[in-house]
Amino acid sequence: MSTRNIVLIVLTVIVVLFLTGINTIPTQDQKVQAAWSQVENDYQRRMDLIPNLVETVKGAANFEKSTLTDVIEARANATKVTLSADQLSNPEAVKQFEQAQGTLSSTLSRLMMVSERYPELKANASFLALQSQLEGTENRITVSRRDFIGAVQEYNTTVTTFPGRLWAMIYGAKPKQNFTATEGADKAPVVKF
Amino acid sequence: MRSLKLGLVFVLLLVTPALAALNFPALTGRVVDDAHILSPGTIQSLDQTLAGYEQATTNQLVVVTVPSLQDVPIETYGYQLGRAWGIGQKGKNNGVLLIVAPKERKVRIEVGYGLEATFTDAICSQIIDGIILPDFRTGNMEQGIIDGVSAITGGESLAASTSKAQQPQNGVFYEILMLGIILLVMFISRVVVPFSSVRSGSSFASGSSSLTGGFSGGGGSFGGGGASGGW
Repeated sequence: MSTRNIVLIVLTVIVVLFLTGINTIPTQDQKVQAAWSQVENDYQRRMDLIPNLVETVKGAANFEKSTLTDVIEARANATKVTLSADQLSNPEAVKQFEQAQGTLSSTLSRLMMVSERYPELKANASFLALQSQLEGTENRITVSRRDFIGAVQEYNTTVTTFPGRLWAMIYGAKPKQNFTATEGADKAPVVKF
Repeated sequence: MRSLKLGLVFVLLLVTPALAALNFPALTGRVVDDAHILSPGTIQSLDQTLAGYEQATTNQLVVVTVPSLQDVPIETYGYQLGRAWGIGQKGKNNGVLLIVAPKERKVRIEVGYGLEATFTDAICSQIIDGIILPDFRTGNMEQGIIDGVSAITGGESLAASTSKAQQPQNGVFYEILMLGIILLVMFISRVVVPFSSVRSGSSFASGSSSLTGGFSGGGGSFGGGGASGGW
């Protein structure tokens, strides 16, 4: 009788474990990957804006050359440093990506600050349009990064706590590297006039 | 076992509030005037405009005035409010919010994922800088909101009318097709349905309640598109 009870309890535990955890890790992993591709999208959107922005700003008489060169170089560098979804558990790769995008962010914010000194740019319709697009894109980056941080947090909680921890051992799932909110890339350039 | 699961629940509860610590006003209609800057007449006429806009385009546009942004940037407040309310149809994500914060002197057009190509950041910025803010600067909040709404709702019908003008033959064809469909629907509702409803004993009463009932979001999502301005 008592052995039957024990068998029953063990069976129940196994069933409960299966019901609560078997899909959680793959589902949350998919969520993290979806959130990551949105982040990549938004960074790409920013990359795509830059050539037009540089061309427009170049048109302004005597625009500070060094600022423009910095942006072009930072963009070229950021294009080289990509981070695919399966590299997300590699802290070194994440750090490199963050650094490249962060440098681009700060050179861009400098470009927008310098352009404030050129009245002819502030009266240029295509510059104003690009400026609002850049603002919007920086905002999209902030939002998608925040979503990504939330998704990774959820995933890491599952992987490191019971019962997800058991499933993580079976799946071989490791906690993912999360973004830190203090990195430079998190701060949108100040482009208010 | 149970306490461990409870522990997990608490861990999750600790994680989520960091993202959703804002208090949002209740979605009482298409115009949520929580800062009380609009007259009842304006609210009503705006509501009608917005309802007509949704009927024509399925896009959900909601006007919201807030007494406080709760110390976050209007960009942060905006997309989270849009997501909390679920403005826009699910799958289409075609919601737009016009957010006015009189205390912080900020205004924002928040655009759902699905409308980012229609209401680009540049267009939103033009509407804010060129149409809404001049009124706001002279203290005429109500007029600024009315003009802003008509700029947003007019934007797409403008695009639709130009594309129609480019294809006049198609326009006539579709008009005839639409007329045919309308006649068919009328025929079915007048002639066919009464017979079947008499037999089955059902009535139309339940169907019409969703049209006259309260407004609710369709489950759309937002990703930070749009533009903001201040005065």
